[in-house]
Amino acid sequence: MIMVLLQVIVTLVLWQSGSGGLIPQPLRIIAAFGHLLTTRLLLDNVLVSLLLTLKALVYSVLATLAFTYLSVIPFFSSLAQFIVKCRYLTLTGLIFIFTLLTKDGSQLKLSLLIFGIVPFFTTSFLSVILHINKQEYELCQTLGYNRWQTLYEVVIVGKADQVFEIVRQNFAIAWMMITMVEGLSMSEGGIGALLIKYNKYNDLTNVLALQGVIFGLGLCFDYLLGTLRKWLFPYTKL
Amino acid sequence: MTAYTKKEILLQARNVSLTYGDKCILQDINFCIHDIVRPGLQQGQVVSLIGRSGIGKTQLFRLLSGLQKPSQGSITIRERRPVENSNGSIQVYHERMVEPGDMGVIFQNYYQFGWRTVGQSLLLAARQNKALAGKEEDAIGRYTEQFELSGMLQRYPSQLSGGQQQRVSIIQQLLKGSDFLLLDEPFSGLDICVLDKVVELLLQVSLSDELKTLIIVSHDIATAVAISDTVFILGKMTGQEGSTLVREIDLIDRGLAWEKDVRQMKAFTDTIREIKDCL
Repeated sequence: MIMVLLQVIVTLVLWQSGSGGLIPQPLRIIAAFGHLLTTRLLLDNVLVSLLLTLKALVYSVLATLAFTYLSVIPFFSSLAQFIVKCRYLTLTGLIFIFTLLTKDGSQLKLSLLIFGIVPFFTTSFLSVILHINKQEYELCQTLGYNRWQTLYEVVIVGKADQVFEIVRQNFAIAWMMITMVEGLSMSEGGIGALLIKYNKYNDLTNVLALQGVIFGLGLCFDYLLGTLRKWLFPYTKL
Repeated sequence: MTAYTKKEILLQARNVSLTYGDKCILQDINFCIHDIVRPGLQQGQVVSLIGRSGIGKTQLFRLLSGLQKPSQGSITIRERRPVENSNGSIQVYHERMVEPGDMGVIFQNYYQFGWRTVGQSLLLAARQNKALAGKEEDAIGRYTEQFELSGMLQRYPSQLSGGQQQRVSIIQQLLKGSDFLLLDEPFSGLDICVLDKVVELLLQVSLSDELKTLIIVSHDIATAVAISDTVFILGKMTGQEGSTLVREIDLIDRGLAWEKDVRQMKAFTDTIREIKDCL
């Protein structure tokens, strides 16, 4: 920890002393961050982005769980496999189709986020299901469980901690996409919209201050979800 | 010699074979396990299946547990079911094919759900047993005390020693309530002190009910013989590709069953030698 802190300090000192011209120095970025905080601009926009990200995460998790649990039925298996392959689709070019399919900017952003997240969630969760130890099913059989009891015990309860871990790992994807989708409909604000606005006027100081906020919030959420996982599923830390 | 009679057939394997593609693993397995009745005693059955490593013991274990179907032949069990009539509840018996869930199965690695505490695992098993309806907690308390696991109910399997995990597995399957208990290599990897405890424990289980039947699959000949009333030896017959039962040894006839100091008896060492010669 001390070593990391030292590395950060050394980097900031080198940056402060070495940079000039177009690239803003750390002290200027910190000052810009302080100014953003005083205007409530940052807080309001961060809340908008967080709300949208969490909403997209909830819907994505529900959709992922539905697709993956159903994938054990042959009819839905191919659908789940198709969703996995959708990781290779780019959103560029599809945005207009999504615009036609949704009724407002809010829905457009949400649906794009879900479309971007679900293939990654599904890929990770299908991998978890495929690697379930055969003995878990066999233990259920020896205990006389029926299929639904087995599904509930082995896949739903037994893999809940791994679902949580997948959400934690893939939160980064949602958080990274937020800035892109918020640029599509800027009327509702959001940290992405704010970033695009500053970027448009080459206000690099505020852009980097916002990047720092996005980075810091991402790390905070990663830590928070990790801690929450250990609390909810104590056996994972044994 | 101890007085006893062999009554109804509790489990029967008829012409059981198992093949994978062209490869024959097991063939023409025929044996049956009888209800052994000793006057004035509640006596279950302890049967051992002995064979060398790689001979097909685990495959036979899986067939007996119902987790796998034989390629040919059948394995049937005598099932008892309580039936209500005007005089109250009576037990009726009928023969049927073994299915997953009929046997209490204790795997070699004592596999347990890693996400459930001992208490939760036992409760789930007890809930599968209709005879324990409403009395699950009492039964768990009784068994955990008997098996010295009372303070372990809040622990996860990874927090238990191998011996404790084995006892949890046994209690779990006992709570489920099947008459048959199938154990895969229960003596492997145990030190001598724990081994004695496990033997004592299994004997205790076999005495808990007249129909309780323990089927032990093992390559530990001495321990298996010391605990059993019947031994089946799995081996290869000349000219046969698959393994089969090459010998059945009735340890009761030889005066070796239910004897506390059986290991000191000459007949015991002779039997061990005889089994080794068969392998």
